[in-house]
Formats: sequence, C-alpha cells, structure tokens
Amino acid sequence: MARTLAMFTDTSLCIGCRACQVACKQWNELGLEVPEWTGGYQNHAHFTDKTYRLVRFVEAPGAKPNGDLAWLLMSDVCKHCAQAGCLDACPTGAIYRTEFGTVNINQDVCNGCRYCVASCPFGVVSFNEQTGTAKKCTFCNDRIHNGLGPACAKACPTDSIQFGFRDELVAKANKRVETLKGMGFKDAQLYGADSGGFLGGLNAFFLLLAKPATYNLPDNPKLPQRNVVVDSLLSIGSAVLVGLGAMLAFRERGKGGR
Amino acid sequence: MSLSRRDFLKYGGATATAGALGAGVDMLPVEAAAVSLKIKEAKAFAGVCPYCAVGCGQLIYTRDNKIIDIEGNPDTPHTLGRLCPKGAATIQLSNNPLRPTKALYRAPGSDKWEEKPIAWMYDQIAKRYYDAREKYFITKEKDKDGHDVTVNRLEAIASLGSACIDNEECYLLSKLNRTFGIVYHEHQARV
Repeated sequence: MARTLAMFTDTSLCIGCRACQVACKQWNELGLEVPEWTGGYQNHAHFTDKTYRLVRFVEAPGAKPNGDLAWLLMSDVCKHCAQAGCLDACPTGAIYRTEFGTVNINQDVCNGCRYCVASCPFGVVSFNEQTGTAKKCTFCNDRIHNGLGPACAKACPTDSIQFGFRDELVAKANKRVETLKGMGFKDAQLYGADSGGFLGGLNAFFLLLAKPATYNLPDNPKLPQRNVVVDSLLSIGSAVLVGLGAMLAFRERGKGGR
Repeated sequence: MSLSRRDFLKYGGATATAGALGAGVDMLPVEAAAVSLKIKEAKAFAGVCPYCAVGCGQLIYTRDNKIIDIEGNPDTPHTLGRLCPKGAATIQLSNNPLRPTKALYRAPGSDKWEEKPIAWMYDQIAKRYYDAREKYFITKEKDKDGHDVTVNRLEAIASLGSACIDNEECYLLSKLNRTFGIVYHEHQARV
C-alpha cells in the first residue's frame, strides 16, 4: 500500500474564487446545472451528481478576532474518510478504497441502490438519474494514478487546497493553526486531521476558523452503521411487546367466554 | 453426458481450489492498470490565457487535432500552474456547442441581422479597411509657413488594442497600423 495521499483545505486562505469548482467540472467533464438562488454567492446549495467541489460561503457574526462579522469561505469536498460510511454500506462492492487511501466508486459495478447516499455523514454522495449510479469526488483517481495531483488542488490560486502525503500535510496544518491562534483566531481548528479522531480521520481534512457547526459540518460525525445494534434490539423489543399485547388481547377475548 | 461420483469430486475439488486461489489474488495492481489518463497520449502546447492582463501560462492538450484539456502550466514563473475560475474554463472557448459559427451582419440603415459566413466577414473587413485608407490617406500637409510637408498618415481609422493580446500579437498589430499610417494607435492599458 502506497503512502496515504490527502488534501488539506486551509479555509483561512480561501478567497472564494471557485476555480476549484470549475477545474473539477472541466477535468471530470461534469455537465451543466441550472444555478440556484441560495441567498448569497454560494452555488449550489448542496453537492450534486455534477458538483464534486463546492465552495461554501458562510456569514458568521463575531467570528473575526475584533468581533466583526466574518465571511467564511470553505471549499468543501468528499472527505475520503478512513472509516467511510458509503464504503461500508455498498452491497455490490462498487465503492472501494484505492492504494492511496482514497474512496472511489466503480461506475461499472454500481447498481444504483443509493445506500451510500443515505450513509454518508456529510451528504457528499449523490445519485445521477442519467447513468443510474452514485457519483462523488474521485480524488481525481485517473490523475493520482498517473503522477498528477487533483485538478482542484492544482488550480487553487491561493494554495488553500494543498495536495500531498497525509503525514506531511498534518504537520503543516498544525503549524498553521498555531500561527492563526497567534493572530487572534481563537477558534481556529483542524477538522478531521487526527487519525485517532472521528471516522478514523479524513483524508481530505480542513482548517476551520470557527466551530464546525458554523460551516454546517457535524461536530462529531458518526457512521450510520453504529445505530444497527441499538435499532435491532429496539425492533426486537417492540416486536416482543406487540406480540405480548396481541396475546393479552386474545386472552381477554377468551375470558369473555364467547 | 454421464458424470461418475469420482469425476464429480475431482472437478468439484479443482473448482474449489481455483476459487480459493483466486480469492487470494491481489486485485489492486489490475485496478491501477485499468485507470487511464485522458491526456496521456495527448500533445501538450504551452499557451497564454486569453482573458485578462495577468497572462497566466496554460498547457493545451490536444489529441487528433482536438483540444481535450486546458490547465495551468506549472513552468510559468508568476502563476506556477494556477488559474482563476474563468481561466480554468478556457476549454469552453473551443469546445462549446454554443459557440457562434456564422457572422451576424447588420447593413447600414437596416433594422435586422443577417447571417453571413465567417469568410465573407473577413473579406469585408479587409475591403473596408482598404477602401477607407484609399479614400482618406493624407500624403502631404501644409505647415504653418505654407510649405508642403510629406506626412503619409491616415486619420480615418483608430486602433484600440486589448490587454489580452500577447507580445507577438502586439508586435503584429503595431506593424500593421504603422504600415497603414494609422496615428490613433491606442491600448487599453493606456486608457
């Protein structure tokens, strides 16, 4: 297994130009989409089957060091989790982990059941009605297998998106957090950089200037599979209760001496 | 076809062994080999982004005389391969179903547009350029003392250069204008 590759998105450097979004569409030959009115500059509101990179524009009052309103920009993407919900949920094995640690969907094997769409903790995977398959960021699988970086990381004019080996990027990211804290961004933090943290760490991790919830990211994302044991036990319990109720009901009727 | 129990066990065992061996095969190299890069067989040309005055370097990948990809050129010293969103979409200049393939012409005094071939448009431009020069070219002018002075200039045409044109295009445009005797030789960067 090759060394794990990662993308580090430093949101403090993002200027919201959306070159990553365009470069992604251009390289992956994703089709046109009707723009949505989201109330701001952000387009689209969510990931779609034709939008793998999405720059989120968040207005956060009081997030600047001097207490002013901050316009937080964040280039969002599939996180390529070390414990991926989509990968675990896929019944056909179409979703696989590459030797670089990224998660990819084999379009020839995908049967379009959409379990992965429901299992992604970040709402990344989307269903394409034309091909009948699930689509998401491939980490530019064709490029990284041929010695090139992802198209978005290459296009980024401010180096907000950096591509490289995961261990090197994490060290760089930690230094950057210290710098930002020194500049007064007290909420500056890494999201998903810790491989001992949630989902075993994210291979596309982020530096955020505010709490994850500000960016509409879950504070502690969990795999949907964690609910299986509890939910199964609850189902069995309710089945037993319903059965008992039914038996009691029949006994009442029997007592009535029909 | 008759199958004895001994044969059945023999073939069944062979199949099971083959399956067990197959399960141990590492499929990763096969998957990696199957990943093809669309620009692998392409020719790369260095170009300059046509949009703004920054002039970011681009690599234009072509195959079978068709542009298949345009991205930043990492050898460009001032951009290191980065592009803005407009520059990243440069391929749409060429590969675009919405791109006009015919010229639209509105005759003087007319109220509607007519479709004309592109070649016709080039001919018209050349012809009108020539006609204007023939008609308005000034060979001699009198100075304040009443002497004839050779000036050889053309005041009926003005040229306004764009910030997007590169060095070579600027050179050609200057040459053309000065050959014609155009004196209103302007450029966006000077406006």
